[in-house]
Amino acid sequence: MNNVILEGIAIRKVFGGLIALHNVDFAVQKGSITALIGPNGAGKTTLINVISGLLRPDAGCIKLYTTVISGLPSHDIARHGIARTFQTAQIFAHMSVLENVMVGMHVRTRSGFFSAALRLPHVIREEHHIARRAAACLETVGLSNCAHQLATSLPIGSQRLLEIARALAAEPRILLLDEPAAGLNTQETRALGELILRLKAQGITIVLVEHDMELVMDVADEIIVLDFGKKIACGPPLSVQTNPDVIRVYLGQET
Amino acid sequence: MDMTRHRDLIAFIILVAFIPLLFKNPYYINILVFIGIYSIAATGLNLLMGYAGQISLGHAAFYAVGAYTSGILTLRYQVPFPAAAVLALAGAALLAYAIGMPCLRLRGHYLAMATLAAGEIIYIILNAAVPVTGGPSGIAGIPSLRLGPYDLDTDTGHYAVVWCLFVIVLILSRNILDSRIGRALRSLHSSEIAAGSLGVPVARIKLQVFVLSAVYAALAGVLYAHTVTFISPQTAEIMFSIQLITMVVIGGMGHLWGGVVGAAIVTVLPELLSAFHDYELVIYGCILLIMVMFLPGGLVRWVQRCIEVRMAPLMRKRS
Repeated sequence: MNNVILEGIAIRKVFGGLIALHNVDFAVQKGSITALIGPNGAGKTTLINVISGLLRPDAGCIKLYTTVISGLPSHDIARHGIARTFQTAQIFAHMSVLENVMVGMHVRTRSGFFSAALRLPHVIREEHHIARRAAACLETVGLSNCAHQLATSLPIGSQRLLEIARALAAEPRILLLDEPAAGLNTQETRALGELILRLKAQGITIVLVEHDMELVMDVADEIIVLDFGKKIACGPPLSVQTNPDVIRVYLGQET
Repeated sequence: MDMTRHRDLIAFIILVAFIPLLFKNPYYINILVFIGIYSIAATGLNLLMGYAGQISLGHAAFYAVGAYTSGILTLRYQVPFPAAAVLALAGAALLAYAIGMPCLRLRGHYLAMATLAAGEIIYIILNAAVPVTGGPSGIAGIPSLRLGPYDLDTDTGHYAVVWCLFVIVLILSRNILDSRIGRALRSLHSSEIAAGSLGVPVARIKLQVFVLSAVYAALAGVLYAHTVTFISPQTAEIMFSIQLITMVVIGGMGHLWGGVVGAAIVTVLPELLSAFHDYELVIYGCILLIMVMFLPGGLVRWVQRCIEVRMAPLMRKRS
């Protein structure tokens, strides 16, 4: 099985004196769920930010199949089919839940400034399409009943689901989830796990940063463990769980 | 065209058409003309400030550029009014593009300062380039509104032209807001990072809305020049930029009708408070402060909420 969709080669990111990512290599299999774990400050979010183009790596490169995407601005990376959610939900505050998701369709639609101003027939057709698709994305995450509410009126758990729906609207090939379970209760976390598996079944490749080990072990096909910016282990959940380095990092065992 | 989107606009058009019948006094019609002119500029600034969350303290400059370009072209080069107006808008668009390119990389206070500086530069140029702009004494004798064979140099003529253009501006603005471009520009307001991660080209969208709002300001300036038939560098003063911002804040940031409501209040207020002329800036400052503290959504939203609260018991009774 060698069907790598996303590959990172010797990625390095330095903030001042801190090496946030130290020559990290990784490979994500198409259609899999890859979890990125590690203690706080291990560089997980930095890696997600580098993949999604929010940060430029100082060295190394990231390839989507054979296309180098590292160094592109984030909106170009989104166009390549990589969508993401954020550790602290970044909801568009002055917009309704549905409109938030409709923004996600930006890369999949094309009407421009002037045709929009004149509301030409193809713009109207596209608007109908956008509304339908966005509603479908809301249904996928189970937020259909609050489509017309103001997005900020949602509880935090629903805001996270909204972010996922918004990312799905971009019809991503790869979905990056940055701690989607943070702030969710057990029930919500279980529902989230089911949602993630459903998305995988739809053929979306998922990269998941998560602290909730139960969730990670339930859904991940592959786990990458980071510690102080270095990759210390990777492999299927069972082998990672028994890896002595990982146990040391998580339990603080003396070597 | 789906008319349900424009129900409020249809009501508004009827209102605008009937108002001149109520006010026979040309003084009132004249004030309404100015309200219309300012509404156009304020609606543009609202797109930039209220919806996209980008502050411009230099919008008076675009207003002045529109006014001067159209004024000079019609007066000195006998260019017919509509053509001169189009050239003026194009000029303002180019200028906004040139200013916006570097400035819009900045955020928040820095963007405000950069646009303030750009506005001041234009103000200084208008004062200094005497052979072209007439310097501090300005340009007098600008031809009044004329559309081909139709002379529109009457109060009702001005009124009709200004408010027709305002309605067009409103329709175009609403169309943009209800499109993917509009949603993209509204998304910038809360999170440029999230917008970018969804494929919204943040810098380009910002530049587009900046140019559009500058074109609206220039259109207002054009109408001003041909209504008053005299222009001076005063039109480019920072004071006017602040007035425009006051209009948007009072009316309602991020509300399509905020621009008109704000323009009406800020235009009528000095007429009522003419005794306090020297304290104009202080009064604007106080109004801005009070609005931001107590009615951050602006008057339009406040009225909307009041109506909703009043209606709620009735609605409950019915159901």
